[in-house]
Amino acid sequence: MDSSIYRQIGTCITMKALILVGGFGTRLRPLTLSIPKPLVEFANKPMILHQALKAVGVTEVVLAINYQPEVMLNFLKEFEAKLGITISCSQETEPLGTAGPLGLARDKLIDGSGEPFFVLNSDVISEYPFKEMIEFHKAHGGEVSIVVTKVDEPSKYGVMVMEETTGKVDKFVEKLKLFVGNKINAGIYLLNPSVLDRIELRPTSIEKEIFPKIAAEKKLYAIVLPGFWMDIGQPKDYIAGLRLYLDSLRKKSSTKLATGHHIVGNVLVHESAKIGEGCLIGPDVVVGPGCVVEAGVRLSCCTVMRGVRIKKHACISSSIIGWHSTVGQWARVENMTILGEDVHVCDEIYGNGGVILPHKEIKSSILKPEIVM
Amino acid sequence: MGISDEKVVAVIMVGGPTKGTRFRPLSLNIPKPLFPLAGQPMVHHPISACKRIPNLAQIYLVGFYEEREFAMYVSSISTELRVPVRYLREDKPHGSAGGLYNFRDLIMEDNPSHIFLLNCDVCCSFPLPEMLEAHKRYGGMGTILVIKVSAESASEFGELVADPVTNELLHYTEKPETFVSDRINCGVYVFTPDIFTAIQGVSSQRKDRANLRRLSSFEALQSATRNPPSDFVRLDQDILTPFAGKKKLYTYETMDFWEQIKTPGKSLKCSGLYLAQFRFTSPNLLASGDGTKTATIIGEVNIHPSAKVHPSAKVGPNVSISANARIGAGVRLISCIILDGVEIMENAVVFHAIVGWKSSIGKWSRVQASLTYGYFYMILMTKSYVI
Repeated sequence: MDSSIYRQIGTCITMKALILVGGFGTRLRPLTLSIPKPLVEFANKPMILHQALKAVGVTEVVLAINYQPEVMLNFLKEFEAKLGITISCSQETEPLGTAGPLGLARDKLIDGSGEPFFVLNSDVISEYPFKEMIEFHKAHGGEVSIVVTKVDEPSKYGVMVMEETTGKVDKFVEKLKLFVGNKINAGIYLLNPSVLDRIELRPTSIEKEIFPKIAAEKKLYAIVLPGFWMDIGQPKDYIAGLRLYLDSLRKKSSTKLATGHHIVGNVLVHESAKIGEGCLIGPDVVVGPGCVVEAGVRLSCCTVMRGVRIKKHACISSSIIGWHSTVGQWARVENMTILGEDVHVCDEIYGNGGVILPHKEIKSSILKPEIVM
Repeated sequence: MGISDEKVVAVIMVGGPTKGTRFRPLSLNIPKPLFPLAGQPMVHHPISACKRIPNLAQIYLVGFYEEREFAMYVSSISTELRVPVRYLREDKPHGSAGGLYNFRDLIMEDNPSHIFLLNCDVCCSFPLPEMLEAHKRYGGMGTILVIKVSAESASEFGELVADPVTNELLHYTEKPETFVSDRINCGVYVFTPDIFTAIQGVSSQRKDRANLRRLSSFEALQSATRNPPSDFVRLDQDILTPFAGKKKLYTYETMDFWEQIKTPGKSLKCSGLYLAQFRFTSPNLLASGDGTKTATIIGEVNIHPSAKVHPSAKVGPNVSISANARIGAGVRLISCIILDGVEIMENAVVFHAIVGWKSSIGKWSRVQASLTYGYFYMILMTKSYVI
């Protein structure tokens, strides 16, 4: 690799990123029944913006999806202008695994400059160390740089066994039962364009087929992520991820966090939201734009999306309230209840772990977790 | 017959601590007859109903509790209703009819022409004056209050068949296995004094049979507990069943509500039935409010004068709040009994529950029972803390 290709960050360098969006986001239903998953808000910002914004120097983003691109592109037009990046879609007509989409988007990713490109997973929220990744990649001169993160339960994911000092990866083991290490693949890669030559246009797993080969050639390097990391593809991880994210804001002494005698712990309240008297909000709560939280409401460990109205004396915990829904007076919603868009929970109702599809009215209590169509 | 001289005595059977164990855990703290329904002790309701009987001379409460458990109640209710109420303790079980017989001297002291027998754990409108009129017309030994129920539930009670014209009791059977009738015995009766003769007859008949058996060596081998003692006379099996069809017993049907208060869950339902009745009989006992100066009240609600309820709370339907309870701001109470000294903090919700004496329910808590099968109510015992 000619090292002169790598210029300093901050000058006009055009890098690209491929975000693996995949399918319909079925695990995040009922939220994903209303809008595509990358546009579902996390901490009052669409998930995709948590990644694109932070990507220093990235001017072109390719979304690898496997459904109609029109829906996505419509939503994204406004963001394109705001962020000054171009967003295009690469659509799979048949499932191509985790490496296939890269091969499919080859033309969009290779422009002859030889620049490495980022590959991200749309389900992942973290403190993306893009700058550190570029420096690390430049330093080791290998083909692939992967971000790894330390987790409590490594066997849920793919484990990396690597040299501590250089970060050179010896082995890459997917979902093994035995403990071989606690660093797992965080799904954030920086790849040289040459990787694309290794990918055939068929369903391929980048973790199972491509990376082990590169590791054997000693060209795969891993950098440990210092900050938080979470796969928020399903509701309970979404809520856990919120806690981590708000905690990282607290560590950075962010002024975005709400304060007041009615606030407990880390809480984000959009400036256009209204909070009534005698409420107790927090810990780990996000209140979206245009929300109205009436008097005497208790919110904890939950997300309230745009335009929601929570009526007096209601109590919500460990739940996600979808856009424009309402929660009635004295209602109690808890234990991983997910309300889709425009759901109305009547007064005095108890909701225990219900998953409610959009445009429903809940007139009777849900005593144990169930899906309400 | 001087109608104005005809005195009436009422006897209310109240049971005992070892009886009615299905009412636990509530009856572990307080005798079941004193448990509040619609803000007043259970036994208060039949007692107030008795007061409507013309020429009522005396009310006796008969049970197995210690005298001291009823001493205070009996004296205060006598003063309040201005009718003599006395508690009589049975020394040993005599059966539902035998208990009446056991105290016949006391009962007959005022030379009453009629005797009412009521069960304390019956919840109904107690149409006693009407029953008495009907009984006088029939001219029999006794008249039973009956009600029509669903065919499925009838087998839990005493089923009976009555003549549709004369209202005579033709047939009676207790808790039958097969369907006999959908009309059941409400546990409220009126008798003339010849009931005592009838009970005595059953008693002596039994004694003779027992003597006969002692003479037969084979039957003497049977354990004594198989045959009840001769003075143990049950009203249903020993009086109603044999005397049915003999032009001695009659029926009076009520079209109002009727429930047996056997379990705590039922007490919540019955409290609601009595509260609904207050709307017609004693509307002054019901609370009202619209959230401006006093709490918003929905449906029938009884609040003890010493209880404090925040104006932003919403109470009802079917709520009874006992003495010295404190209901905080923004609380929602639906279908519940809040006992003495309970504190419910801000924004809490109580739904279909009985909250025991001196319990505390924390801010934003929710106490709710599920109503999937019949009525299951949540009960918080004394001094429970919910946070």
